[in-house]
Amino acid sequence: MVVIFVLVVGFLTGVALVGSFCYESARITDFSRKNLKPGIPYLFGTDWLGRDMLTRTLNGLSMSILIGLCAAIISAIIAFVLGVLAAVGGKKVDACITWLIDLIMGIPHILLLILISYGLGKGLKGVIIGVAVTHWTSLARVIRAEVLQLKESQYIKIAERLGHSKWKVAVKHMIPHLLPQFIVGLILLFPHAVLHEASITFLGFGLSPEQPAIGIILSESMKHLITGKWWLAVFPGAMLVLTVILFDVAGGVLRKIFDPSSAHE
Amino acid sequence: MRKKLLALFLMGAMVTGILGGCGSGGNEKEVSGSSKSSSSPQESGSSTESSGVKDGVIVTMPASSEPAEGFDPAYGWGAGEHVHEPLIQSTLTVTTTDLKIDNDLATEYSVSEDGLTWTVKIRDDVKFTDGEKLTANDVAFTYNNCRDNSSVNDFTMLKEAVVVDDTTVEFHMNTPFAIWPYTMAVVGIVPEHAYDENYGQHPIGSGRYIMKQWDKGQQIIFEANPDYYGGEIKMKKLTVLFMEEDAALAAAIAGQVDVAHTAASYADQDVADYDLFKVATVDNRGFNLPASKAEEVDGLAIGNDVTSDLAIRRAINVGIDRDEMIENVLNGYGTPAYSVCDKLPWYNPDSEVKYNLDEAKQILEDGGWKEGSDGIREKDGVKAEFTIMFHPSDSVRQALAEDTANQLKELGIKVTTEGAGWDVAYDKAQSQALMWGWGAHTPMELYNIYHTTKDGQQAEYSPYSNEQVDQYMDEALRASNLEDSYGFWQKAQWDGTTGVVQDGDIPWIWLCNVDHLYFVKDGLQVAEQKIHPHGHGWSIVNNVDQWEWGN
Repeated sequence: MVVIFVLVVGFLTGVALVGSFCYESARITDFSRKNLKPGIPYLFGTDWLGRDMLTRTLNGLSMSILIGLCAAIISAIIAFVLGVLAAVGGKKVDACITWLIDLIMGIPHILLLILISYGLGKGLKGVIIGVAVTHWTSLARVIRAEVLQLKESQYIKIAERLGHSKWKVAVKHMIPHLLPQFIVGLILLFPHAVLHEASITFLGFGLSPEQPAIGIILSESMKHLITGKWWLAVFPGAMLVLTVILFDVAGGVLRKIFDPSSAHE
Repeated sequence: MRKKLLALFLMGAMVTGILGGCGSGGNEKEVSGSSKSSSSPQESGSSTESSGVKDGVIVTMPASSEPAEGFDPAYGWGAGEHVHEPLIQSTLTVTTTDLKIDNDLATEYSVSEDGLTWTVKIRDDVKFTDGEKLTANDVAFTYNNCRDNSSVNDFTMLKEAVVVDDTTVEFHMNTPFAIWPYTMAVVGIVPEHAYDENYGQHPIGSGRYIMKQWDKGQQIIFEANPDYYGGEIKMKKLTVLFMEEDAALAAAIAGQVDVAHTAASYADQDVADYDLFKVATVDNRGFNLPASKAEEVDGLAIGNDVTSDLAIRRAINVGIDRDEMIENVLNGYGTPAYSVCDKLPWYNPDSEVKYNLDEAKQILEDGGWKEGSDGIREKDGVKAEFTIMFHPSDSVRQALAEDTANQLKELGIKVTTEGAGWDVAYDKAQSQALMWGWGAHTPMELYNIYHTTKDGQQAEYSPYSNEQVDQYMDEALRASNLEDSYGFWQKAQWDGTTGVVQDGDIPWIWLCNVDHLYFVKDGLQVAEQKIHPHGHGWSIVNNVDQWEWGN
């Protein structure tokens, strides 16, 4: 289990690192090598500006992963804080926060993302904030439920009767219990964040077109599919799917490590 | 675990789906290749094959060509950003194949000595398609309406159109406007009796075609006007389909259209039963170089410290290999551009430059731009670098910007490229270079680009001013006839000492004229085209009435 997790994380970090190093080379245009089929030395082929699709794909993925990382962490922190607040802050606070969760979940996800990203002037900032402030809701719900459940458990009640302060109870008894949920939730946010970043960029509300983002690559490739340049879409698309699957696998494995009993479900 | 497997299986299926989707794109060709002989017309039945002779034609255009405001000249139909003949309405004059002026509704026109009164006599035998006669009243009404309401074109030079008698109309001008015949060539005459705010949706005119059906977002069907006063209309029915280039190519491969507009990147596709048809254009691409020093006016950045240096602008103009660029970006489907009006009667051939890298480098050296350690030139601590913006969804402009950046690297000038939508591009172009597309059948374009604005110190789209150039253009508008006017327009470009060309101020760099490309079905004879202006849309059907089906 641990081995799989390390392998997956190692692979993703590798892609993120290598990709960020080819930012410059991914932007090089060279018309003497345009529209080349996949082969050597251009494993993923080249596009109509003679850009190397391998470096573009890697760079796009690394950008997606970094944006995903940023957004997922911010999202998870929001979820954690609001989830805990809702559970321990009394009825009114709880009502407010659940209302907020319902509100955000009630708006179609991609629509809200586009609105926020567009409102913030698109680009990197728009995408990160857009993804970050829309993805925390389900994790916040889980954490709230978990805390509510914990509050009713015997040992917490005993700790309270013994005179431990609320703060001490939270730090000593609750957080260790919540942490696995939190980390797994965080990792499972990734695939969502990455896919949503790619989608709004694909739709033209995300990163700008000179950036080698996966969404850009895929939307550009649409125009060239009809002339049979399949490699422009297939490799970057497959890599995106692979990345998302790997994150999912990592999250799944991590859950089993933290919570072995679920392996028998 | 089982769920997980299912999920993975589904993902796998999706990926295969994507692959399969691409595969079918390639297969389509073969399928259509076999079913080619029986070309299936659209359901709309656009190819009428009555009495065995085909006399209808289906033409594709980009979705952006669909007139959002309808077929009303006051809101841009024909006389808008992209000029073309309005088909449904007739115009007073027409432009000929060499872009001179000929009569349509007008029988004769003249201008007074001071250039402030144009008198136009019109034909007496013209009827609108609702049977009413077209008189000078309608002409005056049309122009006064355009003057008051035109959202697209500038009619501020017109004071009033006045009816003299049934067949004579006078245009009283605020300022002399020698190129008025070019305006008369694009304004379709609308019937006063049948004009209201919904006219654009249900146009009535006296032109060659009647609009029969308009399915918004999809197609417009035109039928020949049986009472047309001009020559015979050979093509009885015109169907225009709106779609993007990839869809147009697919439609051609499937044999569903007769003329499919296409782009250079698709031009190497072999479509059975279709030939590539290439039309020369003045649809140019070029970028502005702000010619004033950087400053901030009302919170807006204006000017640029690098491009305001004359040596930089001259070096760029002579240091760009336009032929290579056309080969790289347009697959050869284009011609080098040296001005905004190449090949038009008001073009000054002195605009032309020969590519010379050494000369460009020498200009930079002489101008004080010395190469730094990183290969980028510097002068007084200012690095020779600037940004070229391009419209995000225009791959040709993006490629031109990228190729410009590559070529200028040789010169020691660093260019970064950046996508910018029209919402911000106009403002940003005041301080940065932007990849533009221009080209129109009127010399006013020169005025719009190079003349300072009425109440400003600089030209409208990119900071530039030259009193002498302004003066020539003012004289051109005051000229007593078109021929003289052409001369002044040419002088505004270069008079031997100053102008907007290489040896002058060169505030704009022109790169290429993009050929308009079409896949035309075998047997269709598209009549000779006049040089197309900017806009890959309606221009092709300017003379659709003269097209013919052969064998």
